[in-house]
Amino acid sequence: MKLKTYWYFLIPALTGLLIAVVLNFTSIPNPIVYLRADLGTFLFLVGLAVSGISWIVRAVSLRITSIRETAREEALHDRRSFLSLLDHELKNPLTAIMAGLANLNDGTQQEALRSVETQVQRMSRLVADLRKLSDLETRPIETSTINLPTLLKEVFTLAQDRAGDDRGLTLTIPQAPWPLPEIQGDRDLLFLAIHNVIDNAIKYTQPGDTIELRAREEGSHVRIEIADTGPGIPQNEIDKVWGELFRGAGARGVPGSGLGLALVQAIIRRHGGTTSIQSQVDKGTSVILSLPIQAVTEL
Amino acid sequence: MTNKILLVDDDEAISENLSAFLSRSGFLVDTAANGQQALNAIQNSPPDIVIMDVLMPVMDGRQALRQLRNDENWIPVILLTQIGESTERAMALEEGADDYLNKPFDPHELVARIKAVLRRAKQGQPPLSSAWKLTSGDLSIDRKANRVMMGDALVNLTPKAFALLEYLMTHPDEVISRERLLDAVWGWDYPIGTRAVDTRIAELRAALGDNASQPIFIETLPGVGYQFIHEIRAD
Repeated sequence: MKLKTYWYFLIPALTGLLIAVVLNFTSIPNPIVYLRADLGTFLFLVGLAVSGISWIVRAVSLRITSIRETAREEALHDRRSFLSLLDHELKNPLTAIMAGLANLNDGTQQEALRSVETQVQRMSRLVADLRKLSDLETRPIETSTINLPTLLKEVFTLAQDRAGDDRGLTLTIPQAPWPLPEIQGDRDLLFLAIHNVIDNAIKYTQPGDTIELRAREEGSHVRIEIADTGPGIPQNEIDKVWGELFRGAGARGVPGSGLGLALVQAIIRRHGGTTSIQSQVDKGTSVILSLPIQAVTEL
Repeated sequence: MTNKILLVDDDEAISENLSAFLSRSGFLVDTAANGQQALNAIQNSPPDIVIMDVLMPVMDGRQALRQLRNDENWIPVILLTQIGESTERAMALEEGADDYLNKPFDPHELVARIKAVLRRAKQGQPPLSSAWKLTSGDLSIDRKANRVMMGDALVNLTPKAFALLEYLMTHPDEVISRERLLDAVWGWDYPIGTRAVDTRIAELRAALGDNASQPIFIETLPGVGYQFIHEIRAD
């Protein structure tokens, strides 16, 4: 039988306590013991004791960290399997509904049918997004060397097409003292991540607002920032915006599945990067994606 | 001639609604609820094509398909599942399905696929999709080794570009939309991604030395999609 680690420390301590109680509260002789040592030996013993104690403290804290880490991984895994199950369970009814609708398409009640079809398509997109999210945790990432300025320009052009002329869109890519470094990663996924953030900025801003896409090197990372002068996010919602299916109070009436930013975070994490958000209501929002310049080996 | 379809799915809501739609589209439809029933039905009265789900009780779709192919039965089969990842693609190649369609799908898309597979299928011969090597003029691809040769020269392709070429070559007589390529090769279908397809096609053309305005292999059909136009042989 394998003992839990703490028993190795508890057994000697409990044995000592038991003997002390017996000696103190029975008639068994309990003589006073004097210990004498020269200063050298004493300091050596003190050093030994301090080493022992710090070793125990470290072992315990490592154990706590590892328990927390395991719990976090399990929670993440549970959530992903839940998403994957949900995706699977939604697929069949959706397939049946789509076939049923195709059968009904005989010219009567066209408008009602079109409305139902639109909703079915909306659900299908949601299911597809759920699949993406659960896929992202497991599928291998195709890495290649990415020229960030080119990628950012592509995302920016697409955003300009979508936003039209009534929002001030700018792209800032530094040239001095040196251009942005190349990074390693999955080009299509990073494109999707940056696109999702800038698409949000377009969706939530009004004509006349400003949207800025900028990037710069910051130590061992590249920092990509998407800032806007939109409505901002209330403080109590800031930590929740990365969560799956979360839609803030201001998001009502704006099309979306509530999975866009969750996808962004999953993509950036897979690249060993981090995401953060700063926002003030009625002033604007800034989303920061930070990506390591050196490839992360576990991609 | 009316083509006969065997629709295999354990979900009654799907088999009822889909078989009604397929009948209205001009096919004769039989249904089966699992792989074992499908194998029996194929033996008793062979259909022209089988549409089969994967996850089913008793015997799943993959198992049933493998058994068919082991018995050298090359009846066309469309599996209702997704093959996105490379490992799944390798598995699909060994299974020998003629095409794949991911749920949920537009039933009109299924009818288009059925027609394309029936057009492509040659009586009693393995489908292009299950051939390990495909040759088209000087171009040849080895799907087991993920290798592309142009004459004697090795062509370097990224895994995505390879998967794209493979998909186009195994569906030669179809114009394939960007959305479908995304779904089949990337495993996802998202509206902004169609540009990613164009980028990869450009990469593929450059690697193959194919000219977009006078293509030998890959033709662009504006507003529709791409088609592999050179004749293909399975080795």
